[in-house]
Amino acid sequence: MSRVNDVGGQAGFGALEIEADEPPFHADWEARVFALNAVLVRNGVYRLDQFRDAVERMAPQEYLAASYYERWLHAIETLLAERGLLGDG
Amino acid sequence: MADFRAGERVRVRAVDPEGHTRVPRYVRGQVGRIVECQGRWALADECAAGIAEPRVEPVYTVAFAAGDLWGEGGHEVTVDLWESYIERVREDGA
Repeated sequence: MSRVNDVGGQAGFGALEIEADEPPFHADWEARVFALNAVLVRNGVYRLDQFRDAVERMAPQEYLAASYYERWLHAIETLLAERGLLGDG
Repeated sequence: MADFRAGERVRVRAVDPEGHTRVPRYVRGQVGRIVECQGRWALADECAAGIAEPRVEPVYTVAFAAGDLWGEGGHEVTVDLWESYIERVREDGA
């Protein structure tokens, strides 16, 4: 079944907010999440498409409530846990 | 190998797979026109599924009339699609 991320063309989400001079990151932790993902992909821990898949596997209610980089962090945690590289807590 | 050429009409397969795919819902089953080939790339669906040696296929930029997709709009929408996502449209439209 189609996943929650596939919202192209759907109405009801409001207008896109376009920020003037938008910075690449709005907080330091976002930059760290971005860098962490790049390092994990480059070192072959998982593939980029597996990362995308992990983002899409989020529960719809969590996905819709999360920010862009919160989704990234969720996917990284999911993939590391599935590979036995990240414990609980 | 299908080897689609620029200008050919293709229909997007009306798939709805369980896992990751790069076929947006809004083009499934729609007919578009091949614009150009973007080279050969590993199929994202199989990469996401962890298949060790994923299929490598041509990726085509396909143009759709916005009116076909949304019922309005005079512009075109282009989507990059792997070869296995699309099929040739016969002359009789089937």
